[in-house]
Amino acid sequence: MKLGSIYFALLGTVTLAFGLADLIVTMATDSFSWGILEIPGDMFRGGWGGLVVLFAGLFYLSGARSISDIRQLSKVAMGSILICTLAGCDVFARVTESIPGGEEGWFNTLEGFLGVYAPPYPPVIFLLPFSLVVIYYIRKAK
Amino acid sequence: MSLTVDERWDLIDSIAKKTITYGRYKETLKDVIGELTVKPMTGIPIAITTMYAFWSIFGSFAGTLFTDGFFVKLFDEHWLPWMQAHFPGAGGWLYYIIVGDPAADNCFEAFGMLTSGIFVAIGVVLPAIFIFYLMLTLLEDVGYLPRLAVLVDTVLHKIGLHGYAIVPTILALGCNVPGVTATRILETRKERFVMMTLLAIFVPCGAQLGIMEEVVPESMGLIILYLIIGYFITGLVLNKIIPGISPEILMDVPPYQKPLLSNVILKVWVRMKSFFKTAIPFVLLGCVIVNVLYLAGFIQWLGSTFSPVFVTWFGVPEATAGPLVAAFLRKDLAVAQLSVIEMSAYQMVTAVVLVSIYFPCLATFMMLLKEGWKELLGSLAVLISVVFLYGGLLHLIGILAGVA
Repeated sequence: MKLGSIYFALLGTVTLAFGLADLIVTMATDSFSWGILEIPGDMFRGGWGGLVVLFAGLFYLSGARSISDIRQLSKVAMGSILICTLAGCDVFARVTESIPGGEEGWFNTLEGFLGVYAPPYPPVIFLLPFSLVVIYYIRKAK
Repeated sequence: MSLTVDERWDLIDSIAKKTITYGRYKETLKDVIGELTVKPMTGIPIAITTMYAFWSIFGSFAGTLFTDGFFVKLFDEHWLPWMQAHFPGAGGWLYYIIVGDPAADNCFEAFGMLTSGIFVAIGVVLPAIFIFYLMLTLLEDVGYLPRLAVLVDTVLHKIGLHGYAIVPTILALGCNVPGVTATRILETRKERFVMMTLLAIFVPCGAQLGIMEEVVPESMGLIILYLIIGYFITGLVLNKIIPGISPEILMDVPPYQKPLLSNVILKVWVRMKSFFKTAIPFVLLGCVIVNVLYLAGFIQWLGSTFSPVFVTWFGVPEATAGPLVAAFLRKDLAVAQLSVIEMSAYQMVTAVVLVSIYFPCLATFMMLLKEGWKELLGSLAVLISVVFLYGGLLHLIGILAGVA
């Protein structure tokens, strides 16, 4: 479980940093791109969504110590639930965007459909696979 | 057969032995997560996330996928041109009422009963209402709503209500009519009056939210913020001036559970059915009445008569008189009408807030009347004061910020 504590403390720090970056970008500029990473800058996704990432980071950090305790593990699980919710909303937004064809027709072409799923991605998508590690610890606790 | 006291206790013991398992209670992850959602320190971030997910899915499903993705194209490129080409008597009064402006190239501008009316009801409001009720039902059946009620209990006590008042408020975000009905779960007359008044003034229905998402997506946050602030300020004032008590209550919080598909389908269907019965006829009727009033010159007269109020006090163009008349029939229709009036971004925000806080729609008005004419008159008195004060205040904020 010690390894788990270190893992979630690190994940919490990274998540917190991404949450802060979301908020800073929202306040300072329109959006920020770096390679396949894009930090959105609008009030809804960047501001409100950034606040959610920040909260997830705080949940991870407050629960990382002795995660063998069910109360601590539940905080870590809540951090992962927040990340999964936000990432789920982003993926759902891409799905709804990829289906209609816009000016070209009723439904999107295959290229257009796949193009919607191409990078850049917001930080929460990168955090998603790392957040799923909590499933292992939940199973272990059971 | 009658039992003695001893026999009765023996019977109880034997039933208890067969049905109750004794052991040490072990806290589960589900229990602790349930607890985290009601404690303010952890519950507020979870509530903020839930609301984010709610509006994100609402916007993606209703706005991006259905309205912008399919219905705008269907109505603007196919239905409207077909109606304009085939409906007889272009330029005549019947054509104006049914099809609307013959030169319009989109359904927001046409404003005919069978063009804008059908587009607003089916193309914009229907997907919005569907996804709203689906998510509300899921939150309810999972067991999150009672936890939200516990979480907001302290805040709502400040405005003379208790945590369960969140249920009528959230229901009213779908449609004000069931929201007003749900105020019956509140115990005292004072609580019911405060809740009904706040719902009628500050809670926009799903139809209105759907159309706002479509026509003023960039100002949605600001509009909602103004409405939330108004909800709490008015609530605080009403709590001080309305006599009566707001008692404490004990709430039963069920454990988190997986929703049953059959229950979800049934609940969404029942709620959607009332939308089909009330909203669609009112939208169509609204288009007819507003068009007739335009043809009769009443709206123009209203605009010029109340021009000092609209232009000087509220800071919006006098053309907003038409949408305000339409707002009494359907607020979604009124927002759609506002979208084609030329005005600045701040004027648009003020006008949409005014449409929201101005008179409740006819269906809500009838529900308020059903709850008692004294309550209705009281609510209307509060409403008129709020419209003037709050509308003027928004204008003042705009002037001070240099945007009005």
